[in-house]
Amino acid sequence: MAARLALYVNEEETVEAAGGTLSIRGLCKSYALEDRQVSVLKDIQLDIKPGHFVCIVGPSGCGKSTLLRLIVGLDSDYAGEILLDGARITAPSLDRGIVFQDHRLFPWMRLDENIALALLNHDYPKAEKERRVAEYIRLVNLTGFEKARPHQLSGGMAQRAAIARALVNEPRILLLDEPLGALDALTRVYLQKELQRIWMERRVTMIMVTHDVEEAVYLGDEIIVMDAHPGRIKRSIKIPLPHPRDRASSPLQDIREEILNELTATSPEPDHLEEAVRI
Amino acid sequence: MSTQSIAFSAWQYQGRLWRKARLWFSPLVLLLIWFQVCRTGFFPEQILVSPGVVLETFRELWVSGELQEHLGKSLYRLALGFVLGVVLGITFGVGMGLSKTVERLFSPFFNAIRQVPSIAFIPMFILIFGVEETFKIVIVLKAAFFPVALAAYDAVKGIPQRFVEVAKVYRLPTRHLVSKLVLPSTVPPILTGMRLSLTRAWIVLVAAELLAADSGLGQMMEMGRQMFRIDVVMVGVILTGVVGFVLDRGCQWIERHLVRWNT
Repeated sequence: MAARLALYVNEEETVEAAGGTLSIRGLCKSYALEDRQVSVLKDIQLDIKPGHFVCIVGPSGCGKSTLLRLIVGLDSDYAGEILLDGARITAPSLDRGIVFQDHRLFPWMRLDENIALALLNHDYPKAEKERRVAEYIRLVNLTGFEKARPHQLSGGMAQRAAIARALVNEPRILLLDEPLGALDALTRVYLQKELQRIWMERRVTMIMVTHDVEEAVYLGDEIIVMDAHPGRIKRSIKIPLPHPRDRASSPLQDIREEILNELTATSPEPDHLEEAVRI
Repeated sequence: MSTQSIAFSAWQYQGRLWRKARLWFSPLVLLLIWFQVCRTGFFPEQILVSPGVVLETFRELWVSGELQEHLGKSLYRLALGFVLGVVLGITFGVGMGLSKTVERLFSPFFNAIRQVPSIAFIPMFILIFGVEETFKIVIVLKAAFFPVALAAYDAVKGIPQRFVEVAKVYRLPTRHLVSKLVLPSTVPPILTGMRLSLTRAWIVLVAAELLAADSGLGQMMEMGRQMFRIDVVMVGVILTGVVGFVLDRGCQWIERHLVRWNT
């Protein structure tokens, strides 16, 4: 038993030491659509240092969600290299967690069971699993709702539960695919603060895809601006401001304006025109 | 307890009573009309017997043990054919849902046969299996098989891709994948399919017994008809209805208690 425990301690240490350096080299991804190849991502170069918060913004169809799916390992059909601490990513692994736009909690399981789901592939003792589940429920401020079923939770609570589920494995990288996109404005602002607090507490590398430029500059150490058709990185902006940040501070507002200008300056392509007309 | 909450629970109790009463409303109205029509003497007694006579016949058949024998025989056939049909249906449906090859091989044939009413198979089955037990069990099996196979196929196809991705991300070991995702998302629709097929199988069985049987509720009704015992026929009709109703309600109850998160 003591030996087993020692093993876990070691493992945790190595996780902390490894940190989570992500490097993407010459990444290309294309789909076969009928008889032609459609390029979704073209020549992506990206380096993310451990503990950084990186936000990816860009128009619809720029492949930002595809990029996250590749990093998490749900799709291994790509050209180029995605390396996490030097190892090529080919399949999902517990050192990468993901939060989707919809919470994806299983409706037939209670909140604590849903979070424990992420630990099923670990062989920790039962008590250790319970301790972790309780710890992460506390981290996202859901203590007292352990026995609730997903349909009894509000959208914000369900999304917090999804964050806890993604973090309970203590992954090296947390991927966030528009996690706050479907929430109302107030809940979104609240969860942005929560996310910032959690990130500052845990210092896990986070990569977040978002449509909301304000959210991106509020949270990110670095903003990756992407362009569509084919999806590529247009620009990378570092934001060397300390956390926690003041949403209304003028440097932040300036960067926000700059990125918004950058995103709206590109001549609208046919599908964007359509979108504009629909609105 | 405050007066308000007492008033509330009294109101709730009344609500429950009302729901119970509603359940009995239509049978009681029908019974009343039946009574009244009999009293007018408009129809000869060989065609329309009064509820009292039917009740008396029911009692006689029960005391002699004849009714239990017929009912037992029918329920035995139903149970055997249903269990076989469900096992085969789930196997086939899951197979079609999981494997593209199995789907391509069997789906057109499956969908064509599905359109033929079970009763249309009775003459053919009698030719193949004779008029003995095998034929009745096979016809029940056939009636049970298709709704369950279809439900199982749809259920497997309908496992949400969103949840499959979650399972992949957390690398759920196979046995957990089955117990935490596959079963919870497929069992409810399959149960609904089973409920459908149970009531259908019951209808088809009684029809088959009407045509060719030496025992069973259907045969009892057919014998009654031949001997101008319309009261025996009525007992059979009512009992068939009651059994079907109880089977359906029982399945609904099981469904509700197994699928509690869907509320």
